[in-house]
Amino acid sequence: MTDEPKQEMVVTPWEVKGDIDYDKLIEQFGVSRMTPEIEDKIAEHAGYKHLQLRRGVYLSHRDTEWWIKEYEKGNKVGLYTGRGPSGNVHLGHLVPWFFCAYLQKAFGADMYFQMTDDEKFLHRADLSLDEAVSYAYENALDVIACGMAPGKTHIFSDTEDIEHLYKIALRVAKKVTFSTAKAVFGLTDSDNIGKIWYPAMQAMTCFLESDREGRNIPCLIPAAIDQDPYWRVTRDIAQKLGYYKPAQIHAKFLPGLAEGGKMSASQPETAIFTTDPPKKAGKKVMRAFTGGRPTVEEQRDLGGRPEICNVYAYFYFLFEDDDKALVERETSCKNGEILCGHCKKELAKRVESFLTDFQEKREAAREVLDEYLIKPVE
Amino acid sequence: MYRVIVANKAVLTPWEVSGKIDYDNLVEKFGTKPLNHGDLDRMRDHSGRFHFMLRRGVFYSHRDLDKILDHHDRGGKFSLYTGRGPSGPVHLGHLIPWIFTKHLQDTYGSKLLFQFTDDEKMLLKEDLDETITSHWVHENALDLMALGFDPDNTEFIVNMRHASKLFPIALKVAKKITGSTMRAVFGFNDQSNLGMMFFPSMQAAPCFLESERAGEPVPCLIPAGIDQDPYWRLTRDIARKLGYPKPAQIHGRMLPGLTGTAKMSSSQPETAIYMTDVPELVEKKIEYANVPEDRANCPLFQFHYFLLTESDEEVEWIRDACTSNRRSCLECKIELAEDVNRFLKAHRRRKKLIGKSVETMLE
Repeated sequence: MTDEPKQEMVVTPWEVKGDIDYDKLIEQFGVSRMTPEIEDKIAEHAGYKHLQLRRGVYLSHRDTEWWIKEYEKGNKVGLYTGRGPSGNVHLGHLVPWFFCAYLQKAFGADMYFQMTDDEKFLHRADLSLDEAVSYAYENALDVIACGMAPGKTHIFSDTEDIEHLYKIALRVAKKVTFSTAKAVFGLTDSDNIGKIWYPAMQAMTCFLESDREGRNIPCLIPAAIDQDPYWRVTRDIAQKLGYYKPAQIHAKFLPGLAEGGKMSASQPETAIFTTDPPKKAGKKVMRAFTGGRPTVEEQRDLGGRPEICNVYAYFYFLFEDDDKALVERETSCKNGEILCGHCKKELAKRVESFLTDFQEKREAAREVLDEYLIKPVE
Repeated sequence: MYRVIVANKAVLTPWEVSGKIDYDNLVEKFGTKPLNHGDLDRMRDHSGRFHFMLRRGVFYSHRDLDKILDHHDRGGKFSLYTGRGPSGPVHLGHLIPWIFTKHLQDTYGSKLLFQFTDDEKMLLKEDLDETITSHWVHENALDLMALGFDPDNTEFIVNMRHASKLFPIALKVAKKITGSTMRAVFGFNDQSNLGMMFFPSMQAAPCFLESERAGEPVPCLIPAGIDQDPYWRLTRDIARKLGYPKPAQIHGRMLPGLTGTAKMSSSQPETAIYMTDVPELVEKKIEYANVPEDRANCPLFQFHYFLLTESDEEVEWIRDACTSNRRSCLECKIELAEDVNRFLKAHRRRKKLIGKSVETMLE
């Protein structure tokens, strides 16, 4: 790795920065390390092992074996994930959503997808509520384009669909004190009362399907590990409310086109957005940070460093499904046989063709959006 | 009567001697304005009569009422907003602001937004669930409508059912209030639950609902006990920041409890006469009511003065009969029990007539 001093790691639901030490996070958050057995079980039910499982995207979990066992017993199981809609979706966001679509299919699960437009509005001084809500619907198109199943996917906006959510959120809120929220989320007296309330909204979704169906349904949350504090609080109160504790499967952060951190929408130049014109996205790839050496000679001599290369990361997490081809690329890079321009050109081509296809699906999703939005319980 | 009570402070008024609440002091402490002759004259002119609660200073203080009246004179509409926590039966003390609100609706043709804060009750009480609050929402709504509100101009907002009406506005409100403000204004602390921390924004939201719906400023007037003022001060502050008209208020005094407490209160059931109390119970409660040595300080007289006896002559006679020792407490109590039971009977009859129509209003 680099010789530069390590930056202090910060991981909260609102901020991820510094050099991420996953071992430390697993210990800090008190979660279980992912096991090959769990990965194999998922693959067995899906019929194939998703590239994200093969590549170790999911580093840790809570109660995922239990969730799978419930399914194997013939019980219905559910999925929950979400998005804070404060802007356009980038490729990093799609990684867990592709995986959700994969899990949904494998386990025949209903997916509750929460658009936390309230949270984004409350946290960001520059974002109006109307803007956040309109991003919620815009971003829903991306979710659908990832291949979520119609009729089994329930996308909702906290603000627009509050009538389905408020009662459960109240029951959650009643069990969580301000002091817990301070300790877990780092809230203070000077935070606004909407932010103070919000954890109840995010926790509520763990119980939404059970509440709507009138029976307990195990819930699995695939999400990045920075969201973990919410689930810790939720797990603490689940039984008091008569629900199962929600299970989680935690994803790593994905590097962006600039160095460090996850691919963040708040640094637009580092990300490729699903709405970027393909050619423009290709240009972004050509400007990406890589693990290359300062000169061609050095690269030929010393070889590249895929372990810090963002172009490689894109192949790794999204664009190279073929494990053999990936290893070949890695080896050739390390041996100094290929230069960064080569990889960038290949990636740009794949990104462009991916986006062309994705944007078609995304536009088609406009027509069927309503089928994917949450409906009142019959 | 109005001249005597309002203009001349030296005159004995029930609340000034109650010793429990110094209402004049509250005006000063909260920085509200006493209703003056000008305000009262205007309201009398608008309605064509001088409502006894204004005449007697039951409603006696305000914030920005003059602006509301100006707005009305210019042909503008304003909304009325009040509400209730549906955790039990309504008592006589609750009816006082409602009866006055009905007078305001009749006079100004204003839409009434009536909020049921079942969410707050659920958050505060350990054993309260929605089956219970739903029952009381229905019962209390009947009590309200039995007072004669215009069903076409009255909107119930039951927070847990109708959250979608309020939540977007509540979020905007919440963004402007910090946890420290909650501590200072409501006495919340680290042990308060997250729902209570947020709830004040749900309670503030109806003040701005009609403006939001109309897409232009629609001022809101809140008739309420003056003890509620600190809460609305915060909402006024937020209104300014969000660009809505500040909610105006007209402040009332509180009906005292049977035991001589400053305020009839559901949390002390022995102080209250509920709309559901049977005649024998009413008789008993009044018979056992705490009557002070100092007769001028009698809480029972205030039942006549605030609520039951609209005729000024009659109310004067009752007071005079008491202070001049022409009538014993027992006689007075028997008559009061009869009056209360007559009032309750008529109220229950009106409730029955309303029947099912209230269900549509609550949907």
